[in-house]
Amino acid sequence: MLSCEGDELRKNAHTRGICERRGRWGWAFVLPSLVFFGLFSIYPVLNALYLSFFQKHLLSTAPPKFIGLGNYVYLFHSPAFWNSLRATAIFTGGAFSLLVGLSLILAVFITSRRKFQRFLQLAFFSPAVVSTVVAAAIWLLIFDPRGIANQLVNTIAGTPGVDHNWLAAPAMLQLSTILVYVWKYVGYFTIIFITGIGSIPRSLFEAARVDGASVWQTFWKITFPLLKPTTLLVSVMAMIQCLRTFSTQYFFSQAGSPRAPIDVITLNVYYTAIRNFQIGRASALSLILFAIMLLLSWLQFRLARSEEVSYL
Amino acid sequence: MRGREGAKGRSVAATVGVWLVLGIMLVYVLGPLVFMVTASLMPASEVTRIPYRWIPNTFYWQNFWQAIRGNDGRFYFVRNMVNSLFVATAITLTTVVLSTVTGYGLAKFTFRGRKAIMLLIVATMMIPFQVIMIPLYIITTNMGMQNSYAGLIVPFLVNAFGVFLMRQHLLTFPDEILDAARIDGASEVQILWRVVFPSSWPAIATLAVLTFRTQWDNLMWPLLIAQSREMQTIPLYITLFAEEKFTDEGAMMATAVLASLPMVVLFLGLSRYFVGGARLFSAQKG
Repeated sequence: MLSCEGDELRKNAHTRGICERRGRWGWAFVLPSLVFFGLFSIYPVLNALYLSFFQKHLLSTAPPKFIGLGNYVYLFHSPAFWNSLRATAIFTGGAFSLLVGLSLILAVFITSRRKFQRFLQLAFFSPAVVSTVVAAAIWLLIFDPRGIANQLVNTIAGTPGVDHNWLAAPAMLQLSTILVYVWKYVGYFTIIFITGIGSIPRSLFEAARVDGASVWQTFWKITFPLLKPTTLLVSVMAMIQCLRTFSTQYFFSQAGSPRAPIDVITLNVYYTAIRNFQIGRASALSLILFAIMLLLSWLQFRLARSEEVSYL
Repeated sequence: MRGREGAKGRSVAATVGVWLVLGIMLVYVLGPLVFMVTASLMPASEVTRIPYRWIPNTFYWQNFWQAIRGNDGRFYFVRNMVNSLFVATAITLTTVVLSTVTGYGLAKFTFRGRKAIMLLIVATMMIPFQVIMIPLYIITTNMGMQNSYAGLIVPFLVNAFGVFLMRQHLLTFPDEILDAARIDGASEVQILWRVVFPSSWPAIATLAVLTFRTQWDNLMWPLLIAQSREMQTIPLYITLFAEEKFTDEGAMMATAVLASLPMVVLFLGLSRYFVGGARLFSAQKG
């Protein structure tokens, strides 16, 4: 009947009436969410930006004191900020590359099997069923000095009775948080990759097989180039998700691990705002995180755009 | 002939290699889950024994009683479990309804400002929670919703991703069906309720599972807003349980198992929609 798209219908007096009435319904359907987003997303972002220029104690009733870029200047001179940036970079770098690399390998391997495909998909996805905090609780016991992480490493390396300080030594603690995170999310990204592989026309693989291409060649010449859009999607999602990590680090630091090596920006925001009550400074810190996320996403899109994909 | 045998040998080697990698990854992925379940059935002394025995000697069910009772015997676990279920369910319901209504409005109606609204919503998707958390905390506290269900629920009534997802889904909804209903004299609200909702079930289920899971996992916000133990949710409960020095390992894993049960049930019942979240998303952009 009437789509109300385009200008011709609007010029006709009769149809314009219908379209305007229809348009009002559109507004009515959109309005409740719009009000909500305004109140609980847009206003808070602007408020955070505003707060980041002020010195404000969370519990004091004194009005916020304007200090311009004072919070940002403070942060750039604070060793704790640079430590957080380093902790975030290490965690995101490690978890991100493992997540993208492993899920791609798993997806290719799983789709290369004739049997057990569904079982393998569900098995790798299964850690996503437990919540992040439960995941951290399980791994807390695995990384215990008497836990199975030490037992496994000592059996393989032939070093009985050595404690590898999974939750105490800074580098090991960073590795531990990465292992927990990859454990939980690798299956999720594997499934996205599997969907991506599924959308590549089968005839291409068959043609390659007939031409005598090896598995290796098939991957590098067909699968990988054609998976570009999926790879971009996975890397943007994985990157943002890694930058947002909080629960694992919070849980380990609450359970007695040193905070500094895993004091990622999100954790630092929490401590600055809720434990130290410096909400202006915490807002500035959170906005820096936001800026990093936007910058990295933009970079990835830029890198990916250089080569567009076609199935020819 | 020789070339063919060589190829065969290579393919056998490839199969072995593939299964080796898959096997190692399976141990990495499933091992901790098996550990959680087996340790939940062992007394603490057995959980920390070297080497770990993957099969419990006897099933030590006391762990589960200890988990439900809590170390102080005040049954906060039950209360916090109910809180989590209630909050996650409420948020899922409002998210699904509001996302569908808004997504429908954006997908099927033309009006001034539609493009701007769409852009605004996509931009909202990018905002990390840490940025808005402090202002949200101030707003909810000023509204007197601190330490209450309202405070736990209101900031998450709907989310931009949900609206985006439903809009993308409804773009493909055939206009003919909507027009047929209009000719039959159905009002716009009736069309939404009787036509759009029922036929969007797969997308709605996917969004529902995704939302419920995210909320079940939410630690940051309850950490800020739920001060009393009566108002806390399961992620907070488990964190506190692990902090207590005298918590025994078996009981901790029993708590973990119990806290995972709702998700396991959801996963077994709706695994299609669990996995569908990833699928749908990749279908949009890929």
